[in-house]
Amino acid sequence: MQTPDFKGTHLFDRLCWAKERLEPVQSDYRVVFEDSVDECAKILVPDPNWMACALQGGILPPVWVYHELAKDEAQPDFKKHTRGYLLHETEPMPAMTEEEAIEYLIMKDIPQHVWQSWDEGNRPKMVICKKEQLPQTRTWRNAWRISDELNLAA
Amino acid sequence: MAGTIIADTLTHSTAGSVTTDYVVNGSAKAWERHNASHSIDNSLSVSSVTDNGIGDTTVTYASALSTATQAISGSAGNNTSNDSILGNAAVQAHTTTTHRYLIMNSSGVAQDRAFNSTLIHGDLA
Repeated sequence: MQTPDFKGTHLFDRLCWAKERLEPVQSDYRVVFEDSVDECAKILVPDPNWMACALQGGILPPVWVYHELAKDEAQPDFKKHTRGYLLHETEPMPAMTEEEAIEYLIMKDIPQHVWQSWDEGNRPKMVICKKEQLPQTRTWRNAWRISDELNLAA
Repeated sequence: MAGTIIADTLTHSTAGSVTTDYVVNGSAKAWERHNASHSIDNSLSVSSVTDNGIGDTTVTYASALSTATQAISGSAGNNTSNDSILGNAAVQAHTTTTHRYLIMNSSGVAQDRAFNSTLIHGDLA
């Protein structure tokens, strides 16, 4: 299916268009990350409708748009976004592979301090894996950590 | 765009009128439903959910809101137990693209549930 020329169309309207027409894509990828020493490892799960948009292309804005809005929101006097037009008027991303979409999602939805220095320090702070690689029971869920002996080549 | 109707008021033949402001401002701007392993069954304008631990979830939106003052409602339950309380996680304030919430049982202990859903009302950026 051809994506309409969505540049200038509100992002929410594009998402509604996609939900009506695109088959959701359940990704098996998960991103495990640690963003606080006081909390257990967290697991990011991609949304199937969002993944369909990423694979389709022409719908989602570039990830830097979200970073710009996050910068605005981090200002102490922030009250309301005034640059929302960046979401709607910036040239949308072309079609991504599932792996490219996961990389985009990491930069969009995981704190920057995690993915910008994920492999610095004594052990990785972030791992991309398949859902079957996660523990199968959640009995000790709040004790989950990324293993010190992780084989990053696996 | 093809199929667009521009109207400020909708009028029913007998029941009266409503301005379309009510429709635009009153409709949910994002919603999601996920299971105990945080796989998302259905959604709108959500890019991911993050499993922060037992009963603790962050939802991230695809289309940002204009302010971080969104109203969040939701529900959670199992096939056999519905004693679930949904609360905002005070450790992390909402942002214009996220909210974080906790599912607890009636004793206030965080719990995973088989069916979890939230929906967000607010103004889009």
